[in-house]
Amino acid sequence: MREAVHVERPWFAASIWEWIFTTDHKKIGIMYGVTSTLFFIVAGLMALGMRMELFNPGAQYLNPETYNYFLTVHGTVILLWWAIGVWASFANFLIPLMIGARDVAFPRLNALGYWMFFAASVIALLTFIPGNQIMTMWTGYPPLSAKEGIGFAGTTALFVFIWHLTGFASIAGAVNFITTVIRMRQPGIGFFNLNLFIHGVIAANVIQLLGVPSVAGAVTMLFLDTYLNTSFFDPTKGGDPILYQNLFWFYSHPAVYVMVLPAFGIISEIVSAFARKPIFGYRSMVIAIWAIAVVGFTVWTHHMFVSGIPDWVKILMSYTTLLIAVPTGIKIFNWVATLYRAAIVYRTPMLYALGAILMFLIGGLTGIPLGLPAFDIAVHDSYFVVGHFHYVLGMAVTLSAFGGFFYWWPKVTGRMYSEGLGKLSFWLVLIGSNLLYFPQLVIGLMGMPRRYYDYPAIPEWVTLHQIQTYGAFILAFGLLIALVALIKGALSGEKAGPNPWESNSLEWRIPSPPPPHNFDKPPKVEEDYCPHGYCKF
Amino acid sequence: MRSAFLLLLLSSFVFASEGGEVLARPYDLWEGIYKIWLVITVVIYAVVAIPSLIFMVKYRYKPGEREVGDQEHEGHWGLEALWTIIPLIIVLYLATHGFAIFTQMRKPPENALELKVTAFSWGWMFQYPNGKMVVASAIRDTEEKKCKPEECYRVDGVFQHYVYIPAGVPVKVILTSQDVIHSFYVQAAGVTQDAVPGRTTYTWFQINKPGEYWVFCREYCGQWHSRMFAKLKVVPKEEFERWLKGESADVSHEREDLRVANINAEDQEVVR
Repeated sequence: MREAVHVERPWFAASIWEWIFTTDHKKIGIMYGVTSTLFFIVAGLMALGMRMELFNPGAQYLNPETYNYFLTVHGTVILLWWAIGVWASFANFLIPLMIGARDVAFPRLNALGYWMFFAASVIALLTFIPGNQIMTMWTGYPPLSAKEGIGFAGTTALFVFIWHLTGFASIAGAVNFITTVIRMRQPGIGFFNLNLFIHGVIAANVIQLLGVPSVAGAVTMLFLDTYLNTSFFDPTKGGDPILYQNLFWFYSHPAVYVMVLPAFGIISEIVSAFARKPIFGYRSMVIAIWAIAVVGFTVWTHHMFVSGIPDWVKILMSYTTLLIAVPTGIKIFNWVATLYRAAIVYRTPMLYALGAILMFLIGGLTGIPLGLPAFDIAVHDSYFVVGHFHYVLGMAVTLSAFGGFFYWWPKVTGRMYSEGLGKLSFWLVLIGSNLLYFPQLVIGLMGMPRRYYDYPAIPEWVTLHQIQTYGAFILAFGLLIALVALIKGALSGEKAGPNPWESNSLEWRIPSPPPPHNFDKPPKVEEDYCPHGYCKF
Repeated sequence: MRSAFLLLLLSSFVFASEGGEVLARPYDLWEGIYKIWLVITVVIYAVVAIPSLIFMVKYRYKPGEREVGDQEHEGHWGLEALWTIIPLIIVLYLATHGFAIFTQMRKPPENALELKVTAFSWGWMFQYPNGKMVVASAIRDTEEKKCKPEECYRVDGVFQHYVYIPAGVPVKVILTSQDVIHSFYVQAAGVTQDAVPGRTTYTWFQINKPGEYWVFCREYCGQWHSRMFAKLKVVPKEEFERWLKGESADVSHEREDLRVANINAEDQEVVR
């Protein structure tokens, strides 16, 4: 029998069998990263297809079924593979290194988690086969999604299995990381000197552990309703479609914090390293992360403000929703304060992190009115909502994920990325994203409903849609340049050395790329160790 | 500080530009809360972004001069408390103000005209208090001869009925759906409400100026979600009364339409 923690060759020298049967957290992290990025590209190409369709009113290139299929897969893949999956990559690679451990607590469970995620990927690819397309949207509301067939929701079973398998991977990962961080830290690393990235990931994983069962139950009932004629959600037989929405959003609203808390963590790591000073207000940062995770479970009905729930529930959850702005605000103010009297080095990761902060602020400020039922009533399910969550997911999450790629690229590959191309990619992504997402906010305030394949030829709407399409192509080009900068660096970049950014965090104290066993001997941390302190070796 | 003052000045102009008769209700209430939010948002963005940009320029790394950031200031409880309490006050104010406005928004006036609306894939059936019905569905053609010219409009080669609404009269919409979840959004009045099968929901609106106004479905409802729209024809009250008492032949034709809509819904079951 194979040992759970098995010393293998480093990732770049490993054979294909070692990759498939590996339990090494670094290899699994890289596999998550590659899968996430490939699916991010697929979902991005689908978005380009939709943007081309919306360039003019009327039918252009797609039929409504294909458009709805693209939109469903774009949403599902960006959320489950990219905004959640990419953090599984970072967490796998970094958490054991940051706490001085040799691997995660349950390496075999970790590998099983990845392969469940891979199975979900196969199912997602199966939807490409004509007749298997899913048109449920990523939310899959019944009764629509409980009707199978072309013109309706497509093959609901595939939608359900995608949720089950990614949900399994999430729970396996959550159990693993929470246990690892609680049990396997080096002496001297406690709750208040952990990396903020770890706080972000662990808070996200606690949410996964508590929330995923709710959505898994919801989609299971959806499956039974569709294929076995039960009537959980079928009003003609006494069921209630609103029940699905409650169960779905009980997980899927906290899930946005699963997506964004690790991003906050990465922003903190990068800002501290390149401002060359400790993060401002570390303790309030930690408290803010955990406050968001807890309060996040009490706000879900703001997705249902117009679906016919009682008015008092709307008011209650309006208060809790707006409360989330307070800890989020603390984080933003602390990042700004970190820049005060800093010595800011402008490298690509820092550009991405600063961009993520200023763009996330727009995403946050446009989220506040959506928590007010009085405001939401006019913009619910409009492009304003689309613009809001793209500022959060398309900008805050994606910019910090790419910032993280650039920041830890020297650690993962041992080589520097291409700096010039990296910076160019940042400016293209920033300009493209704003051209794409800002008009969405404007057109949403004008009333444009979301999930529309076609729209009436109102002149302002046409112009705003065309600006979005141009922005989408600039954004896509920028992301392409970013990938080129990374791949070119991995192939022919200069050797990076163990600690190119002069960070104090543990992962920078071992060679790049890390040896298979991570640390030659358990690393000794200083008495006043702080991962966000500045150090000079 | 000065920029915040300028923005407040600007905001007073925004508020001052109001006045005269409002186009639609409860959109006037929505506009109020929208403007408050906009001012707060711009001020907060400026308060964060301006210092950030100044720090980004001022505190750059300079070899030999500034190679390391200030290591002393790792936090400041006073400042951190300040930017916890001020946002807390702002959000509590916004939520409470929103609460007050929302309560007003949800209360339909006493004298409201009751309109029963049943959503289906893909359109709405409107039933007026005297039993008159109009089916608005942009995916099926209404034969031209059954349409009085002033009561129909053409959209992409398809004839569709206008939905007549009296100007200046509040309309309470009682909503339900006969198949999947749809919604009902009156663009000019800024109200959205889902139409849920097995439930009735309500909303209300009032449009004061005669003209044509959009209604859209905003809850994804399948293949032709994007073609689920209608046009309201807002006319003076007298003209509306005249239209409402219109020929009964028209009503039977509408019933026929509804029957077709029902058959379509049954077809969906067959496809399943």
